[in-house]
Formats: sequence, structure tokens, C-alpha cells
Amino acid sequence: MSFLILSQILNGFATGMLYALVGVGLTLVLGVLNLPNFAHGTLFAFGAYFTYTVANLTDSFYLGVLIGPLLVVLIGFVIESQGVRRLYAAHHDYQLLFLFAIALILQETVILIWGPVGFSLLPPKFLAGAVDLGFTVYPKYRLALILFTATIVVALYLMLTRTNVGAILRAGIENREMVKVLGININKVFLFTFGLGAYLAGLAGGLATPIWGLTPTMGFDILPISFVIVVVAGLGSILGAIAAGILIGLAQSLTTIWWPEAANVVIYLIMGLTIILRPQGLFGSR
Amino acid sequence: MAGLLECHALSKNFDAVAAVVDVNLEVTEGSVHSIIGPNGAGKTTFFNLISGEVPPTAGRVYFKGRDITGLPSHQIPHVGIARCFQRTNIFPKLTVFENVWVAMFSRSNSGALDFIKRVSDFGEIGDKTREIISELGLEEKLTERAETLSHGQQRALEVAIALAGAPTLILLDEPTQGLAPEATQQMTQLIQRLAGRYTILLIEHKMHVVMAISHWISVMHFGQIIAEGGPDEIRQNEAVQKAYLGGRR
Amino acid sequence: MRDRNIFLIVLAFVVIGPFVQPKVIITEMLIFGIVAVANNIMIGYTGMLSFGQAMFFGIGAYVAGLLLKAGMPLIVALPVGTLFVLVLSIAVGYFCVQRTGLYFICITFAFNQMFYFIAYSWTGLTGGEDGLPGIPRPSLLLDPVAFYVFVAVVFLACLVAMKRIVDSPLGLICQTIRENPSRAAAVGYNVKLYKLTAFTIASTFTGLAGTVYAMLYGIVPIDQIHWLKSGDFIFMTLLGGTGNFFGPIMGAVGYIWMSETFSLYWARWPLIMGIVFVVVVLYLRGGIVELIGKVYGSIQRAREAP
Ligand SMILES: Nc1ncnc2c1ncn2[C@@H]1O[C@H](COP(=O)(O)OP(=O)(O)OP(=O)(O)O)[C@@H](O)[C@H]1O
Ligand SMILES: [Mg+2]
Repeated sequence: MSFLILSQILNGFATGMLYALVGVGLTLVLGVLNLPNFAHGTLFAFGAYFTYTVANLTDSFYLGVLIGPLLVVLIGFVIESQGVRRLYAAHHDYQLLFLFAIALILQETVILIWGPVGFSLLPPKFLAGAVDLGFTVYPKYRLALILFTATIVVALYLMLTRTNVGAILRAGIENREMVKVLGININKVFLFTFGLGAYLAGLAGGLATPIWGLTPTMGFDILPISFVIVVVAGLGSILGAIAAGILIGLAQSLTTIWWPEAANVVIYLIMGLTIILRPQGLFGSR
Repeated sequence: MAGLLECHALSKNFDAVAAVVDVNLEVTEGSVHSIIGPNGAGKTTFFNLISGEVPPTAGRVYFKGRDITGLPSHQIPHVGIARCFQRTNIFPKLTVFENVWVAMFSRSNSGALDFIKRVSDFGEIGDKTREIISELGLEEKLTERAETLSHGQQRALEVAIALAGAPTLILLDEPTQGLAPEATQQMTQLIQRLAGRYTILLIEHKMHVVMAISHWISVMHFGQIIAEGGPDEIRQNEAVQKAYLGGRR
Repeated sequence: MRDRNIFLIVLAFVVIGPFVQPKVIITEMLIFGIVAVANNIMIGYTGMLSFGQAMFFGIGAYVAGLLLKAGMPLIVALPVGTLFVLVLSIAVGYFCVQRTGLYFICITFAFNQMFYFIAYSWTGLTGGEDGLPGIPRPSLLLDPVAFYVFVAVVFLACLVAMKRIVDSPLGLICQTIRENPSRAAAVGYNVKLYKLTAFTIASTFTGLAGTVYAMLYGIVPIDQIHWLKSGDFIFMTLLGGTGNFFGPIMGAVGYIWMSETFSLYWARWPLIMGIVFVVVVLYLRGGIVELIGKVYGSIQRAREAP
């Protein structure tokens, strides 16, 4: 039994790190752009599908994960510069409807291009198979995923806390007016942020393919989870999004052991508890 | 005699900024009590502490002998304190009538049944609303949206909303700000007219207005009350002159 | 236009509609008309944007459907379903109204998904993915005409009730909260309490519409509680126009008409809907109401200038 628990904890970390990527991406867009980005999930799906296609064309999973998410960034740039940019001054209702529409359009586009049937993508040879960890035999790809995403998350965190770009983004979350006053080109900041958010969603999607496979609804499935992460984290908290992502991944994996049907509901249980016990979110200030 | 409003050692810090520092203040019933002081002295913050907009860091507020410290802002009108804001704070897309009506309705003894009536069914509240609007000279704008009014008219509407709350004490935060001399004159006269009926706590920068209508003046500087007295005393007070001449931040 | 005239137009639509289009389609338009108008009590009047109204629609439908299946009469099933939603929306709303803006949207959305997953996982009760089938209609309403009349009466009654609410002091208080919440508090209104009231009223009418929907096709598909449906509700409301009490009815009518039409021709019809949404957001803010206003205005001007 305890072996099962240990390996589910590892699984939880793998899932949780992917959630963290998605969650941080959404947090940035929500926090800096003050925008309810309901297209975030479909960007995740596009990341997976682009990765799949590039990997098949080039015969290299690595190239897929490298190029796929960058293509998602291009989509993000188009959405921001052609649509969202005209809506910053509008009410949330129009922003929401616009992004909801983009989600529908992208979702249907996935089915148009890749068909309604799902796919699976094998991990690269080097990462195929499993290793013996002593207490359990564990898939190599998942271990690599945990290490890789952990590196990305740390790098991202350092970028956001230690660099000028990060300082501007954080200032944008706390006080948008200030960023404008500082004479920074706010359009560029917004474009960059939306692109970064799209990249993180796309990267998570690409990395997830060997574990979760590809289904046309994967974007719609991840979307609510990413919003729960933001609520649990506290709106605009990057560290919170990382922690909440991991927490939710772990909770989901562990619930699967005892009560698989409840694995999806437990996410919301955590959200409910957070709202009751700590309404501002785990890392939220207000 | 005890004051209508009493503040004991009231303080407010915003992170490093001490906006209000250990203020003791007593407002006598029926008086016009003015607070003056340079920009950023903490006057508006002081009002915010009384009206529940922000909770004080320390100290207590008593109104009619009752401790009202930290009451949420929506309960303050119901103890009998109404407020006008420095930055015009109205309901832009509602009509002048509706702006005043909601403030009046809030203080009427409404039972649950009132919510199945139409707004137009409340004859008495409607009449009183029109009365107040006329008193402020806005009767011609009754059905205009508040956002279409001129700045001066919006200031008047701001006062009308406060009066509609049937208060004992009115907090007026720079009611003449941005007004032309003639409109300032009108506002001054209005305050004088109100003075008989209400107790007024007034923040005002225009000295001639303050001197003309105040019974008592408190001078605030860097969050502290540095002087208090009648208009003549204040005019001669050295600390006050220093604060005004050399004390701007 | 005066409210009474608009009401007469709506009445004419209800009477003439079923002679022009299939009854089920008009029935759907009326059911979702209730939802869209209710939604506007939040969006248009109070300035709250909930992305979770499908949870109340779906739960109303599930509860009424289960009661009808258990052999309860209509006069029990519908009120109990509605009451259930009322109580639930107070509980859910209590947590939601603690927050404003984006956070409010996020929380309502997440609650929606929570109830979706409960419905999805609790297959024994709700039928899960396959939906809740086999909901009987009372024998009186088996006849399609009788059912249409019933829905029409419910629709008109809801409309009158909601109109009454927005014309009452409560409606005005909601508008002060939309305009300036801190000022609404400063004149003595407990903003959170009134927001919760608006939330509850809107959700309860949405739930009531759901209970009626359960009888329409005799099945509650799980889509009816999915967040996509919540998005559709927002679209209906905005398409009609939030500036007018009756506007959202046109939004519901337009939405149902479009989805019925497009889905006949192309399986990927949500894509077209998405494009329509984008067009509305970018070029038709203010919705159909504003469009009519503009057209009406330019005709007026054309007449005046000879
Ligand atoms: N919400 C707040 N957060 C942080 N600092 C604040 C806040 N409100 C006021 N302050 C600070 O408190 C100090 C006092 O401000 P306040 O508005 O009370 O001054 P005032 O006397 O009303 O000035 P004025 O005459 O210009 O209206 C200022 O330094 C201001 O920056
Ligand atoms: Mg001030």
C-alpha cells in the first residue's frame, strides 16, 4: 500500500507541476492584464496538438516540445493584438464573451484540423520505459517531467522576481497606473504577458501529451482546474499558483487511490475550504 | 457638556505613512466645526475613520455617547451621520431624483413589503426628495442623469444626497472645491442655512469661507491637531501660520 | 418605447410564434428568455457578472426531473426544484459576493464546475454523462399545445415578477451598486447583502426555468450544467442588450434561432457561434436593443430631413 501511495505522490507531483505551469500562465494574464482569460485552456490544447504534429514531422519529441509551444505564442500574439487590445477599457462582460468565443473557435478548430478522435504520443526513446526507484518502478518520462518542469518553474520564478522584466510584470499586478507612469510601453508589456501566458499553457500541453494523450476536449477540461488554482492561490500570486498547482495535483492523485470517482470533485473541495478558511487565497494579500 | 461626536486618540497608519496621529476632537451639537490644514494633512483620512471607510489603527470614535469605532460604512448613516465626499461621489447614470431618493429610502423604516411596491408608489419619500432637490436648486434637473450635470451642480447633488439621509451630523469634505466665486458664495450661504438644523463638521481650504461660518476650528498638520479655537484665535495663532507658510510637503 | 408597448410586442411574439416556427423552438426561446432576463438583473442592473448560472439551471432541472420521475405532481416538483435552487444560491452566493470583479467571475465559474462534476460523478442519481432520461410530463401537459401554453404562462408570469422587482426600490438599489458601490454603502446600504439578494433572485428564476426545461424533452442532458452553458447565457444577455429590461429576450430568441439553424448545416457550428460572439463584442456592444435604437433613430432623422 505505501508503495502505491509513494508512487501516487510522484504522480501527483508530475500532474501538479503541469498544473503549476498552467496556473502561473493564467495568473500572469489575470493579474497583469486584468482579463478573464477563458481561452487559456484551448491554448493548452493547441500546445499539445502542435507538439504532436511537430514531433511527428521531425521525428523528434524534443523539437516538438521546443517548437510547439512557440507556435502557441503566435496564436496568443494574434489574440492579444487583434482583439483583446481593443477591450482593455471595456467591461469584464465583453472581455469574457470575447475570450469565451475565442475558446469556442479554437476548440472547434482543433477538431477541424486534427479530427474528433484523440491521439497518443510516445515519449522519446531515451525517456521511455521505467526505472527502479527501490520502492517502486516508475516511468522515466514522469521523473524527467518533474525535474524539467521544476527547473522551468524555478527559472520562471527567478525571472519574475529577479529581473527587470519580472519587476515590471509584478508592478503591473500590484499597480497598473504605476507602470504607465514609469513611461513603459504598456502595449508591449501586455503583448509579452499574454504571449508568456500562452507559452506556459502551450508548454504544459506539450509536456503532458505522453502522459495524458491528446483529446479535443483537453482544453476545456484543464480550464476550470486552472481557475481553481488561481482562486486557491489568491488572485495574482505567482508563488501561490505554483503551490496551489502542486497541492491540487497531489490531492487529486491521492484521492484516486481511495475514491477514484471523487478525484475531480476533491479539487473543488480544496477550493471550497480555501474560500471558507482563507478567502483571500493561500498567498493572497487581500 | 459632552460632544455630539468625540474622537479619542484616533490614529491611522498606511504602511509607513502616519496619516492621522493621536487626534482628540470634540464636536459640539449644533455647531459648525471646521478642520483646516495643508494638502495631505490627513483631513480626508480623518473623515474616513469616522464614516467607517477605513478602520482606525488605534483610538475610538463616540457618537451621541455610543462607541461607533470600526462600524462598517453602511451602518454609519443609520446612526445619524451623513457624508459628502471631496471627490464627487454620485451615481452617474441615475437621475438626480433617483440619486437623492435612494439615500432617503435607505433611512426610511422600510419593511420587507416595501420591496414589492414600485418606486413611484412611495408618495411621501418622493415628495421629500423633491423638496430637498429644490432646496439645492436642482429642481429643473430632476429627471436628468447625474453625469450630465455641471461640476457645481454635482457638488450640490452631493450635499442633497447627504441631507436625504436625515442626519444629525453632516461631514462635508471641501464642498466648494473647484467652484467659481459665485457658486462658492451660494454654497457658503447654504451651509449657513443648514447650520441651524444640523451639526456640521467641515473640511475647507478657502479661508474666507471658514472664517465666515465656523464656530470652532481645528487645525491639522501632519496628521495632528496643532491648534484649536474660534475663528479669531486661529487667525492669530503662530503655529497655524507656520504650518501654512512653511509646512507644505 | 414605453414598457407597456414592449410588453405587448412580447405577448404578440408568444401568441404568434408557435404558428410560424415549431413549438419546441419557441418553447426553448421562452425558457431561455427567462434565464437571460434573470441574468440581466445581475449584469445590467447590479453590475455583477456570474459565469456560473448553468449550475442553477441544471440543478433546477435535475431536482424537478427526479421528483417528476419519482411520481410527484407538477405542483410539487417545480416549486421544490425552484426552492432548492433558491437555498443553494444563497449558500453559493454568500461566498461569491465576498469578492468582486475578476475574482467573482473565477469563483462562480469554479462553483459551476464543481456541481458539474458532482452531476457527472453521481451517475446513480443524475445519469452522469448520459443525462437524466425518462422524465414524465403530467398527463395534462402531454399535448404539445397544452405544454406550450403552460410554458408561455410561466414565462409571462416570470417576466411580470422580474419587472416588478427591478421597478421596486430593490431594483434601484441594485443600480446604485452597479454605479458606485462604495457610495451605495455610504448612504446606508449593505452592499454584499443586496448583491446576494440580486444573485439569489437571478439564480432562482434561472432554476425555475431549469425545472420547466426538464419536461421539454423529458431528459436533462449533462450539457445543461456545463460551464459552456453559462457562457451561452451571458451571450444571450449581451446579445439582447443589458441596457433594457426586455432586451435579453431578443438575445435568447436570437441565440436559439442561430444555434438551431447553424447546427442543421454543420457539425462544427459552435465555431460560427464563436465568430458571431466576436462580431457582437467588437461591433455590436449594447446588443440588439442598441441596434434597433440606432436604426430607429436614423429613420427618424431621415424623415425629418426632407
Ligand atoms: N488609502 C490610502 N493608502 C495609503 N496612503 C493614504 C491613503 N489615503 C490617504 N493616504 C495618505 O495619507 C495622507 C493624508 O491624506 P488625506 O487625503 O487624508 O489628506 P487631506 O488632508 O485630505 O489632503 P487634501 O487637502 O489634499 O485633501 C497622505 O499622505 C496620503 O497620501
Ligand atoms: Mg482631502
